[in-house]
Amino acid sequence: MRCARGLHKLASVLISMLALPVIADEVAPQHTAGREVYLKWCAPCHAPGITHPGTHALMTKYQGVKSGVLLEWTDLPAGTIKYTVRHGISVMPQFRKTEISDAELDALARYMSRNTPQP
Amino acid sequence: MRVPPGVSPDDFSSSLTEFRRVVGDDWVFTSDEDLNLYRDAYSPFLNEPEERVASGAVAPASTEEVQQIVRIANRYRIPLYTISTGKNLGYGGSAPAYSGSVVLDLKRMNRILEVNEANAYALVEPGVSYFDLYRHIQERKLKVWIDCPDPGWGSVIGNAIDRGGGYTMANYRNHFDSHCGMEVVLPSGELLRTGMGAIPQSQTWQQYKSGCGPWVDGIFSQSNFGIVTKMGFWLMPQPEAYLRCAVSLQRYADLGPLVETLNYLENSRITQGFPDISSPLLGYGPIGQIQLFFERGPGKTSPEQQTLVSEAKLGFSPQLEAYALKSGTPYWEVLLSYYGPMEVIEAQWRATQRHFSRIHDAKFRIVDRVMLPLDPAKIESYHEPEFGVPSLRAFSIGARAPWNPTPSKGHMWFSPIIPRTGDAIIEANRVFGEAARQLDMPLFRTFTLPACFWERSFIFILATPVTEDPATNRHYREGFKKLIEIGGQHGWGEYRTAPVFQQAVMDVYSFNNHALRGFHETLKDAIDPNGILSAGRYAIWPKHLREKQS
Repeated sequence: MRCARGLHKLASVLISMLALPVIADEVAPQHTAGREVYLKWCAPCHAPGITHPGTHALMTKYQGVKSGVLLEWTDLPAGTIKYTVRHGISVMPQFRKTEISDAELDALARYMSRNTPQP
Repeated sequence: MRVPPGVSPDDFSSSLTEFRRVVGDDWVFTSDEDLNLYRDAYSPFLNEPEERVASGAVAPASTEEVQQIVRIANRYRIPLYTISTGKNLGYGGSAPAYSGSVVLDLKRMNRILEVNEANAYALVEPGVSYFDLYRHIQERKLKVWIDCPDPGWGSVIGNAIDRGGGYTMANYRNHFDSHCGMEVVLPSGELLRTGMGAIPQSQTWQQYKSGCGPWVDGIFSQSNFGIVTKMGFWLMPQPEAYLRCAVSLQRYADLGPLVETLNYLENSRITQGFPDISSPLLGYGPIGQIQLFFERGPGKTSPEQQTLVSEAKLGFSPQLEAYALKSGTPYWEVLLSYYGPMEVIEAQWRATQRHFSRIHDAKFRIVDRVMLPLDPAKIESYHEPEFGVPSLRAFSIGARAPWNPTPSKGHMWFSPIIPRTGDAIIEANRVFGEAARQLDMPLFRTFTLPACFWERSFIFILATPVTEDPATNRHYREGFKKLIEIGGQHGWGEYRTAPVFQQAVMDVYSFNNHALRGFHETLKDAIDPNGILSAGRYAIWPKHLREKQS
């Protein structure tokens, strides 16, 4: 499977925040807010490794054609992220605005699609 | 605009205006797009007309706002339905029990009001998730553990008042039992504090549970008598060490003595962690390792073993037992865990071995022996909740995986309480195995072992998938109701269920012509005469809707 090692490592550090105090790491200032939303709501299922059910599901679906880790995707438009968060997919439920507000969802979509060329 | 049943559009419109005045325009939801976010993602009525949906949603940020909303709802007779984090997936999610209710979404009430390390307790609001409380404790380096269920994004309060469970020591695993003190907004809008909280300036609200006089906390769980806006919980002091051990038994008939010995040891607090019974021979793994099963697929067994297991009846045949003895594959295994100072838990393990040694050929091994806290880098090699660490790993159940190419849309849990005996395990397998075959329900493997969340009883958990096909879902719903009825005929009842099955489950609790239901209804009429709060939750209906349900 293709795997951007740097990103992989970054994501591992971010994930460890679930269990540890916040660790400062490099992220473009415009993505700080989006990354926070990602860590809180997405990382528990979408961080690297099969212990994260979202990642395992995507690894299985794409069979090595692309990474199971969403943060490594380079073809993930902001609109797809917003739609999926608000509609859910498979066993992933939709998220309410009291959980992820529209402004937070905008920031999240910008962060997660930062490696995707804009149309 | 959707309108709740029995409410005029004008009244609804006026109530929404008043709700907006209380919480602000951003926190009242009425569009289809916003209200679809309140659908039960795992609804067994997915995309069918009977799916229970909201007519509106309102999200207060404080107890005072909750009180004002309740008073407005009384004025216009608006049916409200309370959720805390809305993540009770498999048990109804964020959708109302009475379709058309306005969801009272407490997610914004997310303050952790106190974590007391010296006496190990916390006071939280309903929007606080297990992740939130865990992070709060970690950031402050407090030496206390939470007890969490498998999915960590649920509400600490919501899970407790739906009477959920976790995985650490017995006195913390039962989340309702481990609470201490509540603040409740009554359906009138009046504010109540229970236990020692009823004393103004109380200094022991989270330190003594019952106060004086009738202890009413229980009526606010699995009910619709009030809105819990604060709740205290006893936390577990961070233990010094952890020991996980396995006891393996070789014969089918050892199941009864296994349970008897386990009961003595657990009820005596010689073992205190989550006991996990499995059968390596029958291919039924420990519940605490279910994520490994879903992540890696079923373990490898020899073709001979597979054939013998498939031909066994209720998990037994003389040939299968002979294979077990010949191959050294344990028939039964129980994983036991111990928390505390190493010298204490090693002594407890020695006592455990002495008691199990009365079973012929019992074998013992230490699976893990670690000092705590665990290295965070290693936590994923464990079942996180057994260390009070929340995760979402349990969503591997049903998710796409190499051995599960067609993921389900969700699941619903059939989970009756059965006695803690070996005989009851076999009887439940016989009864529900037979029923599953007759009803064509895909919930049975060769043999099912129960979960030991609670002391003194078992939960016999079976998962039923939710699909995207209404005909299949209808078939499963009907089968599910039949299983509830069959359980009731054997004296077994569910500990908890999704709103769509609450009526069927409560029908089973029918002693003396449904005296318990009658008492619930008497309470409902007295406490909530306008019937505005969470109509239908656990089959408690207000008077004006009661006849329609029967």
